[in-house]
Amino acid sequence: MINVQNLFKIFHKDGMDVQILNNITLDIKEGEFVSIMAPSGMGKSTLLNILGCLDKPTSGTYILDGEPVQDLDDDELSRIRNSKIGYVFQSFHLLPRMTAWENVILPLIYSDDDSDMREKANEVLQSVGLQDRVNHLPRELSGGQQQRVAIARALINNPKIIFADEPTGNLDSKSSAEVMNIFRNLHSQGRTLIVVTHDPNVGAQADRIIEMKDGQICDDRWTKLSS
Amino acid sequence: MKIIRMSAQAFRSMRDNKVRSFLMMLGVIIGVATLTTIVSSVLGARSQVMSRVERFGLDQIMVMAGAGRKPGVPQPTPTTLKIEDANSILSEISNVKDVCPQINRRDIPIKYQNKNSYAILIAANTNWAEIWNTQIPNGRFFNDSEVSRLNRVAVIGQSLVNELFDGEDPVGKQIILANNPFEVIGVLEKKGASPTGLDLDSRIVVPISTGMKRVFNQDYITNIKIVVSDVNQMTDTVNDVKMLLRERHNLAPGVEDDFTIVTPTLIMALASKVSSTFNIFLILISLVSLFVGAVVIANIMFISVNERKAEIGIRRAVGATRNDILTQFLIESVTVSFLGGIIGGLSGIVTVILLSHLMKMHFGALATPLVISIACAILVGLVAGIQPARKASYTDPIEALK
Repeated sequence: MINVQNLFKIFHKDGMDVQILNNITLDIKEGEFVSIMAPSGMGKSTLLNILGCLDKPTSGTYILDGEPVQDLDDDELSRIRNSKIGYVFQSFHLLPRMTAWENVILPLIYSDDDSDMREKANEVLQSVGLQDRVNHLPRELSGGQQQRVAIARALINNPKIIFADEPTGNLDSKSSAEVMNIFRNLHSQGRTLIVVTHDPNVGAQADRIIEMKDGQICDDRWTKLSS
Repeated sequence: MKIIRMSAQAFRSMRDNKVRSFLMMLGVIIGVATLTTIVSSVLGARSQVMSRVERFGLDQIMVMAGAGRKPGVPQPTPTTLKIEDANSILSEISNVKDVCPQINRRDIPIKYQNKNSYAILIAANTNWAEIWNTQIPNGRFFNDSEVSRLNRVAVIGQSLVNELFDGEDPVGKQIILANNPFEVIGVLEKKGASPTGLDLDSRIVVPISTGMKRVFNQDYITNIKIVVSDVNQMTDTVNDVKMLLRERHNLAPGVEDDFTIVTPTLIMALASKVSSTFNIFLILISLVSLFVGAVVIANIMFISVNERKAEIGIRRAVGATRNDILTQFLIESVTVSFLGGIIGGLSGIVTVILLSHLMKMHFGALATPLVISIACAILVGLVAGIQPARKASYTDPIEALK
């Protein structure tokens, strides 16, 4: 599903080159549940942005779902984000003036899918247990509920991969457990999940833990036997 | 359809920010309202010129006593134009079909019982009503025998009827006109205000003989209306009239005419010259306010793009292309200015209707100015929105989502 070879990312800052990612090589198969763990500032968010097609590597190759994406232009990357990728962010990133279902349909607006958006939204909201919060605004929902709306939004285009950047970082332990529960369900349905976190409890729930330090992968291990 | 879904998002955003949207509209509303009003009055003025020319008569020439006169502008009347001039124009110039010599005088006191008013007194021939295309809905116009017998009979305008008679039928009543008793024999058709603001319904028409001998006691007249047979020979006829009058008035070569000849072409030229300078000025004003409207929209859009960085980032993350973001912001600015255009256009039309009632001004069609103004508004939205929308589309999603 994801194949990364010799990936480098270099930022130019104040006339200096800062190497954020240093020769990353990584292979993730379809259906894996991977957590990428590192203390902050170690390049894990940059890696996630590149894997999520929001950013481009300085050099190296990246093949996503059989398609080399490192040289694609902005429009093609947008199309891939829209059709193959779902995002879950630490701070939810819901549009505050829109109701739960209106937030959920956002990816459909920019897709070529002309089916009934409302109906689809109801389905995914039900799958994350929010069928009775469809018309609520984000501020009327708890943090855990907001994150579940965000997960529903990530799911609405039926993407192959879900990327989550510290999905439980702003949540209490009960909500965190709910969110991780949903992730495990998605995993059991065969979806590929990549979660970035610095919380060992969250990381431990994945099948595979990749640890990073100074822009490099320093550990890559399986926690459970992968099927 | 993607574009419909994106438009719905743009409307949603406008509805969520009503105050912002209204402020964005304000400049366009004002600009479009003035533009609609002005275009309507320009069109009105043009159709007014045409109707004025038609009222004057396309086959008619007016000779006014005095040099360098303009129609509708009062000046002391020279005494050189005589009723005999009119008769000789009719008899000596072959293309002349009819003439109507007349005396016009404003501010003539008129009295009925204990009520007083002032009238525009016209002393004319029996063909006056026909030449000036005026009906007599009540009573009749005076006839030849009344003219030759210097009868004291008068046909009065609707305003005078309203002021003096208070619902009574004026026909057959005695009025006092400049200290002379007159019998009202008819009422003139309602004509409204003249282009120069004169109330044409405050006119009173009496036989020219009666006017000259019994009211004014003078042997000269104010003007002669001439009807020609063949309009194509108008220029020649004007020349003939000019030569004839110069000869009759014993004017040596090089001496200025002591009369002025007015033709339909001259009236058209005068009227359009006056209105066009004024209108260019007004149209400039409304274009300036539309420009200000565009600046306001652009500014608020820039602020809004900055405020909505996170929103743009989210939309980009879920798959909106740069073009999608650009389109969406452009739809917002165009919709705002389009709505502003509709509101402004409608208020412009209301203004037009109010003005035409209050000031008795003439206005032209309403649809054309509305369409022009709304088209301008859409253009304003496009021009004002393009830079902010471009800025929005180049927002870096990674930065925006931090």
